[in-house]
Amino acid sequence: MQYSQKVLDHFMHPHNVGKMDNPDATATEGSPACGDQVTVYLKVNEDSKVIEDVSFLSYGCASNIATASIITDLAKGKTLDEAKQITWKDAMEALDGLPPVKVHCSVLAADTLQTAISNYEIAKGLKEVPLFSKDTIVDELKKIIYPQVGEDIVTLKMVKYVGFTDGEVIIDLNIAEFDTWRDNVVEEIREHLEKYPDIKDLKINLP
Amino acid sequence: MSSGEIYLDNCMTSKPAPEVLKAMQPYLTEKFWYPGSFISTGEAINDALNEFKGIVAKSLAAKPNEIHFTGGGTMANNIAIKGLLTANSDKGTHIICSAVDYPDLLTNAAFFEQNGFEVTYLPADKDGLVSAAELKAAIKPETILFMTTIVNHVIGTIQPMAEYRQVLADAGHKIYFHADAGQAYGKMPLDVNELGVDTLSVSAHKIHGPQGAGALFVKTGTKLGQLIHGVSRVDNLQTGGVNIALLAGFAKAVELAFADLPAQVDKLYELSEYLLTSIEKTIPHVELNGPRGRKRAAHNINVTMDYIEGEAMTMMLDLQGITVATGSACASQGLSANYVLMAIGKNHMQSHGSLKFTVSRYTTREDLDFAVAKLAEITTELRKRSPLYKEH
Repeated sequence: MQYSQKVLDHFMHPHNVGKMDNPDATATEGSPACGDQVTVYLKVNEDSKVIEDVSFLSYGCASNIATASIITDLAKGKTLDEAKQITWKDAMEALDGLPPVKVHCSVLAADTLQTAISNYEIAKGLKEVPLFSKDTIVDELKKIIYPQVGEDIVTLKMVKYVGFTDGEVIIDLNIAEFDTWRDNVVEEIREHLEKYPDIKDLKINLP
Repeated sequence: MSSGEIYLDNCMTSKPAPEVLKAMQPYLTEKFWYPGSFISTGEAINDALNEFKGIVAKSLAAKPNEIHFTGGGTMANNIAIKGLLTANSDKGTHIICSAVDYPDLLTNAAFFEQNGFEVTYLPADKDGLVSAAELKAAIKPETILFMTTIVNHVIGTIQPMAEYRQVLADAGHKIYFHADAGQAYGKMPLDVNELGVDTLSVSAHKIHGPQGAGALFVKTGTKLGQLIHGVSRVDNLQTGGVNIALLAGFAKAVELAFADLPAQVDKLYELSEYLLTSIEKTIPHVELNGPRGRKRAAHNINVTMDYIEGEAMTMMLDLQGITVATGSACASQGLSANYVLMAIGKNHMQSHGSLKFTVSRYTTREDLDFAVAKLAEITTELRKRSPLYKEH
């Protein structure tokens, strides 16, 4: 068994699961085609900005469900500013770790929580709709986990160059031809970036 | 329930029969020798090997000298495919196989493609069937090899072997015919003469024999390039050591599987059809992958549970002591959807939500009742959690 007891506990008996009636904000990330999809619902106190209730639905594997369970636990009772600091690494730590190949499944739930918070802030006029820039691309690349080691491709210096001009994105990757995960990483980059209407063309260069 | 108590992944590997273990024992203790000549120990192993070959040969209606023992099905496939192509590459460099073949065949095809051969991958229909008409249309003067997987390893589809044989016979030139029978052996009658194959691979551990033993049928007169060079104790296709204990177990497993094959096949069909009926009766939003009834192998049921993901289902079943397989990307080593399901036109969600149950002679109806009851609970629970399931 490669999963920790904590993962199994949260997978078998997840916390905060279920659709919420009248949420203040929601977000859905992923898609069935990618193999997982998470929806997060938030109820936020408008004065204190505390997340008073949070729940999720997950179409995904054990790792995905367990992460959604723990990350909603971590967010509950926190202010929006505090909750914005929660990352997939916090979730993973709270779960006593995940097998490297399963780390990428944990990123989606953390992302969805952040998108839900962002959606709330935009709806309440607390922030502007973020402008698409090169930073958006790099932020997305930081969410892509190299399955062999369970770390993101930016931290691992697998991304050599990112360019963005006139809707054209160029990404130079440093992943060897014989690498088992090469196609997988390329496919995931496409899945992450193709949802942005600002991107007209995406070129991924490989050695 | 402890791990694997209800084991429904018999196409991956199957439990060694008690009789198999008993047959192996003497060769792990007092009869540990190698084959050889003139001295009694070596002759005893020669005799045993010949006896085992005879048993495997009989199960395939082959001659004993057409059977070559190997370290498993993958080794048998490699010896056959690489052997046929290296011995005959002067006659042509075009290979035909299908998009749904067993990985041994596809990885060998890819290897030869990288080394100057041309490969045609025949498409499969929605049930996984690769038609003889597609084969006929793909044949060229340079075609040298057609290979197929008699029973599909994912969805159990039985390929039209008799029609393939006719197409190859009418091709106007010799096209070698290799078949992987890993999932077919012991699940349906196989007669190498009727099948018209030049080479055919089988594996011991799929029929309650030990892991690490297999056999390759090579039709008399078929030339194979030698793949593994070394000391030749038995023949050039099987150089190096002989694991006589595994082969004793293999032979015993064959005897057991073929003692009353038609009755055993009927029993497997009864079990798998009972399982499918129970699932369809108990659980809503289920679809069968592959053909229905006797067009699929006797032991295989592959279903997609809509709106939920396979790794989560297999994990929950595992915690109840039930072992099954899934086509979900999340449970695969390469993190990609199952290629067979995708090739027959299923979408990612259908592949991710698929479960494969394979029964054996040791499976009981009680096992299946328990598995379906647990599966029903699990499906309900995971659907409650799924954003794709709209009946919240």
